[in-house]
Amino acid sequence: MKRRTFLKLAGMGSLSFAAGCSDPQKSIYSLVEAPDDMVVGNATWYASTCRECPAGCGILAKNREGRVIKLEGNPLHPINIGTICMRGQAALQALYNPDRIRTPLLKQGGAWRPISFKAAQRLIMSKTGEAAQKGRNRVRMVTDTPGDSIYQLMNGALGRWNSGRAVVFEPFAYESLRKANEDVFSVDRLISYRMEDADVLVAFGADFLETWLSPVEYARKFKEMHAFRNGDKGVFMAVGPYMSLTGANADAWLPCRPGGETAIVLGLIGEALQNGRGTGVRDFVRDIIQRAAEPYSRARVMEVSGLSPSQYDSLKERLFSARRPLVLGTGTGDTGGNSFQTNMAVNLLNAVLDPKLAQFDFESRQRVEMASRRSEILALFAELTEGAADVLMIHNVDPVFQLPPGSGARAAMERDALFVVSFSNFMDDTSRLADLIFPTRMPLESWDEYEGKKGFVSMLQPAIGQLTDAPQIGDVLLNTAFTEDKPAGSYKSYLMARLIQAGLIQDERTWLEALRTGGVTSGSGDSATKWFIPYTVSDAFHSVADPVTQELVFIGMPSIRFFDGRGANRPWLVEIPDPITKVAWQTPLLVHPETVSAKGLEQGDVVKIQSKQGSIEAPVYESETVTPGVLAMSIGQGHGTYGRYAENQGINPVSLFPPDAEPRFGGPRFFIHPVSMHRTGHRTDLAHTDGSRIQHGRKIALSTSLENAQSGQRDPGGGLTMWDFPITLPLPEGYDRKRDFYPVIEYENYRWSMVVDLDRCIGCGACSAGCYAENNLGVVGEKQVLNGREMSWLRVERYHDPEQMEKITFLPMMCQHCDNAPCEAVCPVYAPHHSAEGLNNQIYNRCIGTRFCGQNCPYKVRRFNWFTWQWPKPMHLQLNPDVTVRSKGVMEKCSFCIQRIKAARNAAKNENRQIRDGEIVPACVQTCPTTALVFGNLMDPNSRVRRLVEDARAYQVMGYLNTKPAVIYLKKVVHEI
Amino acid sequence: MENMTPQTSPESWVAQNRGPILLTLLTVVLTVLFLYTFYVYPGSSMGPEQPIPFSHRLHAGHKAVQCLFCHPYVGESNNPGIPPVEKCLYCHNHIIAKHPWILKEHEYFNTETPTPWKKVWYLPEHVLFNHQRHIRKEIACQECHGKVEAQDRLKGERFKMGFCIECHRKKNANLDCWLACHS
Repeated sequence: MKRRTFLKLAGMGSLSFAAGCSDPQKSIYSLVEAPDDMVVGNATWYASTCRECPAGCGILAKNREGRVIKLEGNPLHPINIGTICMRGQAALQALYNPDRIRTPLLKQGGAWRPISFKAAQRLIMSKTGEAAQKGRNRVRMVTDTPGDSIYQLMNGALGRWNSGRAVVFEPFAYESLRKANEDVFSVDRLISYRMEDADVLVAFGADFLETWLSPVEYARKFKEMHAFRNGDKGVFMAVGPYMSLTGANADAWLPCRPGGETAIVLGLIGEALQNGRGTGVRDFVRDIIQRAAEPYSRARVMEVSGLSPSQYDSLKERLFSARRPLVLGTGTGDTGGNSFQTNMAVNLLNAVLDPKLAQFDFESRQRVEMASRRSEILALFAELTEGAADVLMIHNVDPVFQLPPGSGARAAMERDALFVVSFSNFMDDTSRLADLIFPTRMPLESWDEYEGKKGFVSMLQPAIGQLTDAPQIGDVLLNTAFTEDKPAGSYKSYLMARLIQAGLIQDERTWLEALRTGGVTSGSGDSATKWFIPYTVSDAFHSVADPVTQELVFIGMPSIRFFDGRGANRPWLVEIPDPITKVAWQTPLLVHPETVSAKGLEQGDVVKIQSKQGSIEAPVYESETVTPGVLAMSIGQGHGTYGRYAENQGINPVSLFPPDAEPRFGGPRFFIHPVSMHRTGHRTDLAHTDGSRIQHGRKIALSTSLENAQSGQRDPGGGLTMWDFPITLPLPEGYDRKRDFYPVIEYENYRWSMVVDLDRCIGCGACSAGCYAENNLGVVGEKQVLNGREMSWLRVERYHDPEQMEKITFLPMMCQHCDNAPCEAVCPVYAPHHSAEGLNNQIYNRCIGTRFCGQNCPYKVRRFNWFTWQWPKPMHLQLNPDVTVRSKGVMEKCSFCIQRIKAARNAAKNENRQIRDGEIVPACVQTCPTTALVFGNLMDPNSRVRRLVEDARAYQVMGYLNTKPAVIYLKKVVHEI
Repeated sequence: MENMTPQTSPESWVAQNRGPILLTLLTVVLTVLFLYTFYVYPGSSMGPEQPIPFSHRLHAGHKAVQCLFCHPYVGESNNPGIPPVEKCLYCHNHIIAKHPWILKEHEYFNTETPTPWKKVWYLPEHVLFNHQRHIRKEIACQECHGKVEAQDRLKGERFKMGFCIECHRKKNANLDCWLACHS
C-alpha cells in the first residue's frame, strides 16, 4: 500500500468512526400504572430489618424508581438508632448479586437442570409426602435464626410431615456463654449488657464491635461510656491471645496465652474477695467461689496465663476502683479450651464486684439464643448420615462451609437416599451438594417480622419489587405442607393474623403504622433468675484446662467483614480491607514478628499449616496484634463455590478445626493445637491498601493523654514547623499575608466542613461501605488492589505506635476540601475547581487524566479510573442515579456527598430559608455507629462543626503544609495504662 | 517569450473535461437533494417516530392540556416524569376509544408493558438538572423545550453547556460547577 493511500484510508476511517460515535438513541419507558407513593426522581423510604446477622438492626431502604439503591439505619429502631455496619450496607449486594440463582435447579445425573417453581413445589410435596408416610421425623429442616412467625410456620409444616421442630443453626451460637448464664443465673439465655452505664469495662475476648451479639448496638453503647465527654472517659481493657478490632479499641490490650483467661478471672475473684468485695453475695455461695479461686494465687496466675505482673496489677487496680464495673466474657468461639470456664468465672466476678448486677439486663434477650448448640447440629448430621431421614431442608445456612471437615454435614448430604432441598439464592458449598436448589425471596423482598432483641418486634416489608419469580419461604411452606386447611392464603396474611393474635397490631391501620415506623414494642422477656446453683460452680473449675503452652496454636477470628462467611460474596466487603491488617481480598495469617523471625520467615511467605484435620496454605502477615506462637486467621473466606467474588478467594480457617463440639458446653472450638507450620517456598504479594504501618513522625493521627485533654491543653501555634503551625481554618480568617501566595477566598453563608473525632472512631469501616454504596464507587478486584488502584473515596487508615506496636489509632481519611488545595493549582485544565461554598469540585468531563492532582495531593485521596469499572447485571440497578458513573481516564474523589448537599439546598430554597445545621448528612456521617463524624457549615457560628473546631483537641492532618483542610480532626484521648 | 498557450475552442474544452464536469454536476445535484431531504422535505423537522404517534401540537396546543397534567412531578422533583399508560386511558377510554392507536395503548396496559418512548431531550450524564428549581423560578417550559405545543413529533435537543450558562449568567443564577449542575 502506498503511503498516500494509507493516509486516505486512515482519514476516511477516523471520519466515519467519529460520525458513528454519536450516542445511540435511547428509550424512555413509561410506567403502566403509577404507584401512589412514587414521585419519579425522589426517593421513597421503606422501613425494614437487616438480616445480615442475628442482631436484627432496623433499616430504611431508599427506593428510587422502583429499585433499592441504599440502606440506612432506622433512627426509630431501638437496637441501632439510625446506623448500620458495613455488612448491613452490603446487604444490597446480596439482593443484586450477579450470581443469584433465578429458578429452581434440580440435580439430575450430576448436572443442574432448571425447573419451574411450580414443578419444584410439586417435587417437595411428593418427596415430603413419601417421607411422612414412612414414619416419624423423616423430614428435617435446618435454618438460620428465624423470626417467630416463620419459625412457627416451619414447625407447623414439619408437623404436617410427621416430623419434629426445625433446627436453628448459627455458626456463632454463643454456647459457652449460654451455659455459663445457665449455671450461674439459671437462665439458658443470652442477655444484654448496659455497657453505656459502665465506667470500667473489661472483655476477655468478646468482640462486641465486630460480631458479638449485636455489634452496632454495642459500638454505640461502648462509645457512650468510652468517648471523652465532660472531661472524662471510661476505661476499657481487653484480654486475649489475639487483638481483635475490639481489642484494638481498648485502652490496653493485655496479651495472654490461649485459655489463660480463666486463671486471670479467678485470680481477680480471689483478690476481690480478699479485699472484702462480694459482701452482697450469700455466704455459702461466697465460700464456694472462694474455694474455686483459691488455687489462683498471683504467682500462679502469672505463670499460667502468661500475663505480665504490671499488666495484671493495672487491670486489677482499674477494675477494683470502678464504681460501675462490667466484665464481659469470651467471643463466640472457644479460642483456648476454657471459654466456658472463663464465661462462668466472668459471671461470678461481675457478681462479686457488683452483687446487684446493675449492668446486666436479663429481660432484653438476644434472639440468637434460640440457636441449637453445635453438639445438637453435629448429632443431627450424624443421624442423617445413618439414614434417619429422607428429606433435609436447608434454609439460609451453609453448613458444609461453616462446619469443619469431618463434622458429618458433607457425609450426610452426599448420601443418595437423602433428598436435600436447599432454600438458597446462591450456589454455595452446601447447595452444590443438594438435590434441589429452591431460591426464595431475600429479606429486602419479603414480608416478615423479626425480634432481634426482646422488647421490639421489627417488621420486614418488600422494599423493591421482585427481581426473580421466587416465592417467599413462608409461601412455599404454605403451598407444600398444607392442602385444604391452609392456615392462611398467603404468608403475608398469616403474618398479620399472628401479629393480631399476639396483640401487637389491632387492624390494618396499626399494621401500616408498624410498617411505617419499623416495628412495634412488645413485652419484655421473663427475667426470672435464680441466683447461683452452687454445685455447678464448684464443679466447673475442677476441669480448667491448662492454657496452651505449645509452640504454635492456630486460632480463627470472627470477621467484621464476612461474619461467619455469608458476606464473602458481597464485593464491597471483600474490597474494603480488613480493619487491622488493611489487606483486601486475601486471607493472611497473622503471626507475631518473634515467631516470624524464629521460623526464618518473612511477610508474604506462603506457609503450610498442618493440623490433624488437614492443611491450608496462607501468606504470613507479621503482626504485633497476636501473641508469640499464635497463628490467627479471619473466618469467612475460602469458599469452594459461592459466586465470582468468593470462589477460591482467601482461605477458610475452619477447615483446620476439630469437628467435634466441646463436651462441657457443646460449642465449637475456634482453635487447634498442635499445628505445624512449614514454608512452601512460594511468596504472595499481599493486597494491602496502607502505605505504612507507622506515621514516620508526621502529624497524621494524633492522640493525647487524658490529663492533657482534661486540662484543655492546646498545641502550640505561631510557628511554621510541623508541631507549632497553628490550626488554620478554611475561612477568610485563616488567611495570612505572610504565608499565603493565593488571595483570600471569601464565602457567603456556607463553608462546608467535617469534624472527625478520633476518640470516637473504632475503625469499623461502615463509613467506607456507606460511601461505596452512595457514590457508585468501582470495585477493582485483587489484582488492581495490588497495583494500588482501589477506588475508595473514604478509607480508614490504621497507624501503629512505633514505640508500642500493639497500640493502634484509626483515622478516616477522605478529601480534605482544602482552602489552599494543592490539586487545584496543578491541573492544566482546571478540572478541580474551588466551589463558592468551599468544596473542591472535580469536574469529570473536564478531566483529561494527567493525574497531576493525585500526585500533588498530600493526603492521597484522589482516585484515578484506570479502567471503566463494571457492575455485572443486575448489580447496576444499585447505582445511585444522582451520582455520575465515572469512566476510564478520569480522576475522582470524595465530594462531601454533593448530591445530598444539593438536595438539602433544594429543600431550603423551597421553604425560602437557610440550610439548617444537621440537615445535610453525608453517607459516611449517616452510618457511623459511634457518631465520630459531624458535618456542617463553618460560617455558622452556632453550628456543631464550628463549636467542635474550637475544641482543644482539634488539629488538621499535615496542617503545616498550609493546605487549610476543611476536615478537622479531634485527637484521640488515651488512658496511660 | 510569446504566449505559448494553445488556443482551443469551447467545444473541445467541454469534450476534454467531460469527466470533471459530470462529477461537479453530480455533486451539486446530490448536495441539493441532501439539503432538500434534510431541511425541506415534509417531516424533516420532526423528531423520531414514536411507538404511538402522540401529537404534542394536538394535546398541548389545540386541546390546551396543561404540561403538568401529563408531567406531574416537574414541580416537585428533578424529573418531570412521563405519563403512565393508565393516564392516557383516563381520557381515551372516552375519546376516540376505538382508534387503532388507542387500542395499541390498551394492549400496553393489558399486557403491563411500559411504552418504549424514544428519548429526545438529552443532557450529558454527568449533569443533574433540577426541574423543580426552574419551575419554581417560573421559567416557562418553552424557554428550554421550545414551542412544544406547535410540534407534532418532538425533535428534542442535545443540550450543551453554553445553553445553560448563558441563561444562568443572564438571570444571575448559580454558576458553581457542582452546586449548580454537575455531580
